[in-house]
Amino acid sequence: MSLSKERIIPIIAICVLLIGSFSSIYVYALNSNFESNEDVIVINNEEYLLEYLFSNIIIRNLYSINASGIALDNIITSINVNCPSCNSYKIIGKDGYSQIVTWENMQNGVLTNEKKVVFSDLPKAFNVKDVVEIEVIHDG
Amino acid sequence: MMDKMKLIAGIIVFGSIWGFAECIIGPKLSEVGLPSGALMTSIFAIGLMVTSRMFYRQRGMQLGMGLVAGTLRLFNPFGSCVVCSAIAIAAEGLLFELIWYKMSLDLRDLQTDTMRVSMGIISSYVCYVGGYITTQILTPIVSTSGFYLENLLGFIPQILSRGLLAGIIGAVIVPSVLLLKDLNIKIIKDRLYYPTVAAVSLFCWIFVVVNWIILV
Repeated sequence: MSLSKERIIPIIAICVLLIGSFSSIYVYALNSNFESNEDVIVINNEEYLLEYLFSNIIIRNLYSINASGIALDNIITSINVNCPSCNSYKIIGKDGYSQIVTWENMQNGVLTNEKKVVFSDLPKAFNVKDVVEIEVIHDG
Repeated sequence: MMDKMKLIAGIIVFGSIWGFAECIIGPKLSEVGLPSGALMTSIFAIGLMVTSRMFYRQRGMQLGMGLVAGTLRLFNPFGSCVVCSAIAIAAEGLLFELIWYKMSLDLRDLQTDTMRVSMGIISSYVCYVGGYITTQILTPIVSTSGFYLENLLGFIPQILSRGLLAGIIGAVIVPSVLLLKDLNIKIIKDRLYYPTVAAVSLFCWIFVVVNWIILV
């Protein structure tokens, strides 16, 4: 027995709404998990206080995009990551959004006061807001 | 059978209005903090594509509109990746064509409210999510960083979640547009149709290009 359009299209629409709804619940739950750690950022599996990072690492001005913050490459070098240029870096936001960037990109990026990572050499799509983690990916 | 010239003129005018909305209205919505992506897709893209399908009753027209709108987007080089945005707009046109491919051209499949609302939800949600994913794939490829599947997969729940608003608005837009179903574009006299279409298209293109020149 074949399903007519009048039956199958409303069923697909309901499925679409369910997908959207469950995704929203998932994203909301994910965001809630991070709410208690507003002042902390995980870098290479270790927790760092934002206050500590901002008071110990050089501030970089990215004039071309009118942004300033602590330099991402300096964060990595200050926590003693082996061979920083040999790795890739995954910037993860509170909402699950993440971007993997190269060491060259890190040298053109900052973590702003608002916990947002921006890059002067990459499109805006690479900006990550409410950053909760910077993961070091050891290439090769 | 629709006159070919009339159809091409229709593609250009509807595509130009869509492109104008993407270039001029979309950024304004973003500036005031509204979810511009969902609003642009569900109101302008879907609204215009359903309107054109209803008036012209031709398959392929909406893909053409997407290409015209995407081309106009290239003339407004603001934002992170202009080429990616342009391709994403064209992709929305293609997705609409695929979704509506099996629907009858005289829209007799959409006689009930349930069908109209359902098609609004499906079209709007799929076009929004599809366009978004297209941008997420193309932007890293075009930029220096390169595309990582992991980045995209991690963000899929967000994209699927954001599409919900587009789907809900689409459920209102499509039935609203279809209220005008009885209007027949063929009754418009050529001497009125072509000058109007040319004037509206020219206005959209000139406005976008002048806006670019002024802001640059």
